[in-house]
Amino acid sequence: MTKVRVAQLSCGPEYSGVQKEIDEAAAAVDAEIFYPDINLADIRRGSNEFGLDVRSADLKLAIARGKALVEGRVEADAVFIATCFRCAEAAIVRNELRRYIHENSRLPVVSYSFTERTTAGTLLTRMEALTTIARRRALLAREVQEGTTLGVDSGSSTTKAVVMIDNEIAGTGWLPTTAVMKSAQDVIARALDEAGVKMADVEAIGTTGYGRFLVGKEIKADLIQEELTVNSKGAVYLADTQHGPSTVIDIGGMDNKAISVQDGIPGSFTMGGICAGASGRFLEMTAKRLGVDITELGPLAMKGTSGNVPMNSYCIVFGTQSLVNALAAGSTPEDVAAAACHSVAEQVFEQQLQEVDIKEPVIMVGGTSLIQGLVRAMGDLLQSTVVVPHHSQYIGAVGSALLASGFIKGE
Amino acid sequence: MTEYKPLYVGTVTKYVFVESPEMTPGDLAIRAYEISQGVMIKETCFGLQITGKEEDVNAVIGVLRELDPTHIFVKDRGFPPGDPRRCRANLGGARPGYYGHEFEISLIRNVSRGLDSLASRDPEKVPNPPSPESGVALDIRKLKKIIESMEG
Amino acid sequence: MAKVFIYPATSLILSDLVARFGHTPLSAAIQIRERIQTPGLDSPPLQITPEEPKKGLKYAAVEVPSGVRGRMSLYGPMIEEAEAAIIINDADYAFGCMGCARTNELIKFLVRSSDIPVLDLNYPKNEEEGEEFVAAIHAFLKRLEESR
Repeated sequence: MTKVRVAQLSCGPEYSGVQKEIDEAAAAVDAEIFYPDINLADIRRGSNEFGLDVRSADLKLAIARGKALVEGRVEADAVFIATCFRCAEAAIVRNELRRYIHENSRLPVVSYSFTERTTAGTLLTRMEALTTIARRRALLAREVQEGTTLGVDSGSSTTKAVVMIDNEIAGTGWLPTTAVMKSAQDVIARALDEAGVKMADVEAIGTTGYGRFLVGKEIKADLIQEELTVNSKGAVYLADTQHGPSTVIDIGGMDNKAISVQDGIPGSFTMGGICAGASGRFLEMTAKRLGVDITELGPLAMKGTSGNVPMNSYCIVFGTQSLVNALAAGSTPEDVAAAACHSVAEQVFEQQLQEVDIKEPVIMVGGTSLIQGLVRAMGDLLQSTVVVPHHSQYIGAVGSALLASGFIKGE
Repeated sequence: MTEYKPLYVGTVTKYVFVESPEMTPGDLAIRAYEISQGVMIKETCFGLQITGKEEDVNAVIGVLRELDPTHIFVKDRGFPPGDPRRCRANLGGARPGYYGHEFEISLIRNVSRGLDSLASRDPEKVPNPPSPESGVALDIRKLKKIIESMEG
Repeated sequence: MAKVFIYPATSLILSDLVARFGHTPLSAAIQIRERIQTPGLDSPPLQITPEEPKKGLKYAAVEVPSGVRGRMSLYGPMIEEAEAAIIINDADYAFGCMGCARTNELIKFLVRSSDIPVLDLNYPKNEEEGEEFVAAIHAFLKRLEESR
C-alpha cells in the first residue's frame, strides 16, 4: 500500500517536543508527514497574497505552504495543521488556513492545537480519519446498504450494534460499556435476535469506536474504522442528506466531534477530549444529582430556562457545584437541567464549532442527541434547526454496517 | 520512548558560505579538500559544511577565509551534514533555517562591501548604521520648505 | 573574547562578524548541537523533548504556549550567559528557532532587561548601509574588548 502523504503546516511542534508524536501517529496509519517545498520568494508572495499579516515567520511559512498546496504547486493527499495551544496569532492562522484549504481544494484537512503533553495516541484517530478520506474515497462514496451486515460501535460509555438488511435497520443492541468484548458480544446478540438472523447470515462486519481494534479482531471484522468518517457517513445516510454540505456534531461520553461534511465525506473536523465538562458525562452527573434517569433529563430541560441558573464554570466539578448550589437556593430541577444542557452546548460551541464551518443542515448524533434539551441549546447557539435523525444513538454502528456492505463478495 | 544514541559526539559542524564574484563553491571545495586533514568536508550549493574537532575545523576555516576574506562567511550548525532529521530529501521541503540563510544571502553583498571598506575607514568616524531609529520623522522645517516649494 | 548573544540567533551575518572580530557568538546552533550530541530519549528532529517546555517555565508562565517555552529553554540560558548582545530588529524572515514572534519579543525584552551592552541595528539594505553596519559592529565589539 502506498503511503498517504500528509502535508504538515505548523508552528511550534518541534519546540514543544511533540513532532515525534505527530510522525508516529502518521506512521501508525501508513502515512508520512512532509513539508511542502517552496522558496523564500514563495513565502513572501504567499503570505502577502493570503492577506493575513502575521509576525511569526513560521506562520508565514505555513501560510505559503498552504497556498502552494491549494495552487497545486505541491501535491499532497491530506493536510495536517498544527500550532501551539493558547497562541492567539497561531489560532487565527490555523482557522483561516483550514478554511482556505477546505474551500479551495479537495484536500481533507484537520487542525490541531497541541501542548507538550500531546501524544501520538491523541492524534491517531485524527490521522486515521485523514488517511481514510484520502485512501478510501471509493468506499466512502457508498450511499446504499446491501445484503446483511453488522456494525458495532464500541464507545467509551456505551456499546452499540446494528444489523442491517437490504438498506433497512433490522435489529439494534445498546448497553453501557463494561468489559469491552463482553459488552460487544451482548449487543451483537441482541441485534441479531431482533433482526431474526444468525451470525452465520451476516455477510460483512464493520467496527468503530474506542474498542474497534479489539472487537474488530475478535469478531473478524471486514472494516475497522475510526468514528469520524463512519459517523459522518452514518449521519448523512440517516438524515437523508447524502449530497451537498452538512455539519455533524457528536457530543460523546469522552470526546466530541464536529465535522464539516461534503457529499458524505468529512472535509475538515475537530475532535476535543480534554474536558469532561463538555461531554455527555456532565449530563449523566447532572441527571444523577437531580435523581432522574438520563433519558428523563432531556424532557425535563425542555421545561426549564437555562438563564435562571447562574453557572460560573464549565468544569465538571465546579459546574456541578454551581448546579447543586442553585438547587439549594431554590432553582427548579427543570431550570437546572436546562442550565446543564446549555453549559455543555456552549462549551462545544465556543471551543470546537469555531474550528469547522457550520453549514446547514446541522445533524446531531450519538447518545446525547436524544437529550432534547441539549439539542435545543445547541440550536439556540447556532441559530439553526438541528436535525436529529432516527436511530441517531446508533450512528457509528449504522455507519459501520453501511460501509461494511462494500466488502460483501469481495466488492 | 526509544533511547537516543548520538553520532559525531564531540565534533562541531560549521557552514562556510561563499558569495563572491571571484570564487565558486566548487573552487572553495577543492582548496578545502587539499587541507582537510582529519575533518569531514561536504560540498553544498552555497559552499561547504565542515565537521570535525573544533580546533581542526577552525584551522581549516582560517585558511579558507584567507582565500577571499570579505566574501566567505561562517556559521555554526547544530546538526552534522546530511542528518536525515534535517535533510530535504526526507522532509519533502527545506528545513526552516534554510529560508533564513536564503534571506541573509540576498543582503550579504552589502556586508562584503562593509568589510572591504573597513580597513580604509577613518577610525574616528562614528558609524551611523541602519537601526530602528533610522526612519525618524521628517524635520518640521524641512516639511515647511517642501510645502513652500510646492506652492511656489 | 566576550560571549555575544546574537539576534536573530540563527543569523549567518552576525555569527560570522562576531567570530571574525574575535568574539564568541551565542547562536541557536550551539544549543541545538548540545541536544543533538547528548544521549537521552529519542525526540526528533531537534532532540527537544516535552521536558524542555517545562524547563522554559523559568522564563514564561504555564499559560504561555509550549512552543514559546520550548524555545525559551534554548535561549534563556544563553541570555543569562551573554556579556553583550547585537540585535537586528527587522529580522522578519528568520524561521525555525526564530520563527515565533512571541518568543522573539520575550528574548529581546530579557536581553534589554539584563545589564549588558546592546547594539540595535537593522539589516543593511544597500552598500552604504553595509559599510555603516559593519563599522558599527566592529566598533561595538572593540569597545567591549577595551572595557574588559
